[in-house]
Amino acid sequence: MDPFGNFITGTVTLFSDPLGILIFFGGVIGGMLFGAIPGVSMLTLAAILLPFTAHLSAEHGIMLFSVIYCTGVYGGAITAILFNIPGAPENAPTAFDGYPMTQKGQAGKAVGAAVMCSAIGGTVSAVIMMAATAPIANWAISAFGPPEIFALVFFGLAVAATVGAKTLWKGWLSILLGLLIAVVGMDPVGGIERYDFDMPYLLAGIHFIPTILGFFAVSEIFVQAEKKATGVYKAPKLSVNFPTLTELIAHKFAVFRSIVIGFFCGILPGIGATLAAFMGYNEAVRWSKDRSEFGKGKLEGVISSETANNAATGAAMIPLLALGLPGGALTAMMVGVFQMHDMEPGPLVFLNSPDLVWVVFAAMFFANLSILFVGFLETKTIINLLRIPFQFLAPLILLLATVGAYAVRGLVIDVVVMFIAGVAGFFLRRSGYSVAGIVLGLILGKIGEQTFAQAMQMLHFEWTGFYDRPIAAFLILAALLTVAGSIYSAFFKKERQ
Amino acid sequence: MGKLRLGHICEAAFWLILAAFLYVESFDFDRGIEIYKFGATGWPRALLLLLAVAAIGQLVYQFLAGDKSTSGTVGAASDDGAEEAARESGHSHLRWYVSAFCLLALPFLYMRAHDLAGLFLTLDKDGVHSVKLVAAPLLLVVYLFLARGNQVGAILTLPLFFAALLEDLGFYAMAPLFIVGITLLMGERRARWIALTVALIMGFMLLIFVSLLYVGLPTGNISPFYDLSHWLVTLLQ
Repeated sequence: MDPFGNFITGTVTLFSDPLGILIFFGGVIGGMLFGAIPGVSMLTLAAILLPFTAHLSAEHGIMLFSVIYCTGVYGGAITAILFNIPGAPENAPTAFDGYPMTQKGQAGKAVGAAVMCSAIGGTVSAVIMMAATAPIANWAISAFGPPEIFALVFFGLAVAATVGAKTLWKGWLSILLGLLIAVVGMDPVGGIERYDFDMPYLLAGIHFIPTILGFFAVSEIFVQAEKKATGVYKAPKLSVNFPTLTELIAHKFAVFRSIVIGFFCGILPGIGATLAAFMGYNEAVRWSKDRSEFGKGKLEGVISSETANNAATGAAMIPLLALGLPGGALTAMMVGVFQMHDMEPGPLVFLNSPDLVWVVFAAMFFANLSILFVGFLETKTIINLLRIPFQFLAPLILLLATVGAYAVRGLVIDVVVMFIAGVAGFFLRRSGYSVAGIVLGLILGKIGEQTFAQAMQMLHFEWTGFYDRPIAAFLILAALLTVAGSIYSAFFKKERQ
Repeated sequence: MGKLRLGHICEAAFWLILAAFLYVESFDFDRGIEIYKFGATGWPRALLLLLAVAAIGQLVYQFLAGDKSTSGTVGAASDDGAEEAARESGHSHLRWYVSAFCLLALPFLYMRAHDLAGLFLTLDKDGVHSVKLVAAPLLLVVYLFLARGNQVGAILTLPLFFAALLEDLGFYAMAPLFIVGITLLMGERRARWIALTVALIMGFMLLIFVSLLYVGLPTGNISPFYDLSHWLVTLLQ
């Protein structure tokens, strides 16, 4: 049957099953709420729900997680915009312009743009996913081997070094710190323990969820607390004025560009939505005539980041379903759901369980569409969190973060790690370093080292081998040019005050 | 010295010392891997080299330009008010840092209290619990004493204290105290509002996570805190 016929069948199956409908709407609302409440995230909800999926059918379990994925990525934008606390790493660039907009009394406009662009990015991505999963997966796997993926990681990091920190050097120091945190634990080739300091906890590496919560949520509370303690705290201004259609249409090119970037990053295993959002944001800066406005509350920054990260969600399902390769934490949990039901994601899923695949695709399509409707309603409620005085909101966020860090593995040490990351993030931020850069380094560190090792083995340890592969050569050259260009700008162009 | 300040030199020294320390530590896992000639140390050592280069680059830049942002960077952390708050509050002096780090050491002292006591005493499981029950209030007194001179340091330390106590005393007993502590440190003095905040937050957390989602929060392992937690969880679930 053609994709459209399959989509109709999937839709009918989804909405003719009362339990399926209940799970779908539960996932939509749960993903949005957990994404939009500062301190917890869609990953917290997913970790809590993972054991329960054993009692659901595989179809319902995977559908629930894919719906949470779509709506949770959007929900994370709300906390990024309202509180400068990205709900997930992929929402970090959203905060660069979203939070300054809140400070300027334009929170409604930023959140409205996030709603629209998340829905557009996610829906377009879901449509492409439905139309061409198999050919895209085959192209991605044949064109993107370890050398290309390593080159893309290198390019992504080179781009991200210029975003979020006060100086280029601090940008690189932030990213390198994240990459070094990712080194802790077993090495990806020989399984040799590194930097475990004889602590069993460190053998498996530092878990990224508590670390991210610490760097994003806890450090922000500390920064605001210092402002409150020293009398420079300004309560964010409440507004529910959404952007006009004209404003959004004016950014159509940015939306299109971010969809392409987001989809492209999403289909590459291990890259996912985080790099998509950073690259979407950076391209918006690069193409802009007035770069100096970015980071100060420019709507295009929010639009580019949110379109790109939601465009990556549909695309991330392609390597997962077609090849069995998860692109991020939530898609990795979906592999767990498959395994609980004695299934393996991969090409055979399309042959053995076409119903499951098309119900999931239909659910993702409608979940992205529902962002438009439920998202606007939810936003009007969530935005009122800004009315709560900070001294009452802070303990709530810190306790939610405690549950968020603890619920993943049931380890108190994860809570300690989160607060240590929070303190470190506080000191680094007040010195002009980028916590978003640290988190990006942490997320891409493992895949970067692994693909580098695989690439070197493939290329027989000949560095020049990278230049025999056109895509890898192009990306590495682009990365080197980006580094050289940013160093030139740093030393020879007129500095910002 | 160009436009360099002592803070810039300390910052560069921190990164270089970190790089040197991690380089020395890398000899612990400097073992060859047959199929991979760079071994387990190749990647981390390359990162450490880059870290040192970036730290020196930053120092050179600060020598030339001081605290100015570089051209071409966007969304800078400096724009989110973190630096401004530190500068305006005078919380960037050496004395403030020393006092903050003294406060931050207290939760770690609690976590290692039984090891320290073990140097002088032979401790069984009950002995470890007794040491912790004595150490917690003692360190809390020291915390309150130091916190008077450093409010921000106290705010940074309280969550770490809370996390350190979670394993032994449990979430259910510690969370209400934590909420009271944070609201007080944030300057709230109205007892009724604080009590209402505790009731609302605890009610929300228990309803959503314990009753609805069955999340097993830390119950502690020292009586009577463990018994209290166990009773509460049974009641709610």
